[in-house]
Amino acid sequence: MTQTLDAREGFSQLDSSHPSTAQAGATSETFVVTFGIAFTLGYTVFQMLNWPLFTYMPAVGKTYFWLHRPVSGEGPPMFWYGWIVTAAINAFVVGWIATIVPGHWLRRATVFCCVLSALWPAALAGLRIFILDWATFDADFLNSIWVAAIPALLGTGIITYYVPSRFADLMWTRWLLVVPIGGLVVLGYGLILLWFLR
Amino acid sequence: MDIIFTVIREDTFWKILLSVHFMLALILLAALTLQVVTALMPARQVAGGFVDRGPIPAASYATLIAVVYLLQALMGAWIYIKYRTYVRIPMEELRYWWTVGGFDFKEHTVAMGVGLLPAYWYFWQQPASTERAGVRKWLTVFLTLGVWYALSIGHVANYFRGVGS
Repeated sequence: MTQTLDAREGFSQLDSSHPSTAQAGATSETFVVTFGIAFTLGYTVFQMLNWPLFTYMPAVGKTYFWLHRPVSGEGPPMFWYGWIVTAAINAFVVGWIATIVPGHWLRRATVFCCVLSALWPAALAGLRIFILDWATFDADFLNSIWVAAIPALLGTGIITYYVPSRFADLMWTRWLLVVPIGGLVVLGYGLILLWFLR
Repeated sequence: MDIIFTVIREDTFWKILLSVHFMLALILLAALTLQVVTALMPARQVAGGFVDRGPIPAASYATLIAVVYLLQALMGAWIYIKYRTYVRIPMEELRYWWTVGGFDFKEHTVAMGVGLLPAYWYFWQQPASTERAGVRKWLTVFLTLGVWYALSIGHVANYFRGVGS
């Protein structure tokens, strides 16, 4: 019994004398969660915008920096590697930044990024519908991702400001599932239009 | 690559690579499916207050799964070169749009899985933690569904032009 109590005291001391272990655990968790969210979000965005870090031409074995449109005789281009590397670099940088900013800022910033990634294309789609169906003047200048950024940033700012801290905390690890599923829905929709409805 | 092709015929080399890719996929699928079943099954309360956690030590699979997943993604990325030039072009010429689209979706699914792998591995390092049980379980479900899909569509593509087709 004495030994058991001693052992418990020892564990208690271990727990209390290693705040650095708990700190390291929290930092690791922050990094992996942020990495997961940033990678999946980044991959979706870079794929949709077609921003590969490099383009590989398998038929001729050549690699070009950034986006390269193939010229005659070069064969088909491969962007997939480029999107993955871009997303990975982005996720590493964001994950590292996440480990040095305060937790409540990070959670709110995560809400901001995730909401913005939904509102920006939604705003662009809304503007395009407005141009086609509603506008009574030449509104082609509105058909721009930069014009769509204005209502998207405004809406995201308002939503992020009013989101309760408890909701931001609750959602933080859940974004790990919401973002990739949402990303796959967006990417899948693009593929439906491109291949499945031919 | 040219050194390898002096020893072995090019098509034989790609077929061996594809076969290894397929076998590793089966291992990954089996491990993930067992793990997801364990994660989804509620722990049983038996007599005496002990909790029966089932015969499969799900946490011990996590590192193996993470390593094999990454290895598979790298191997798939290598084979993808052959797919892009040797398989996809005739696939498009023969208007197999659903297979092309399905395979493109596989790329996205696998890429998402690669991004989630560090979080998946990390959360399985504390399997007793109830605080993160939900995210751990659903990450495992996500990866499992992704691997099931990848294997299925990979098999369809292989059936079009691959080993034994």
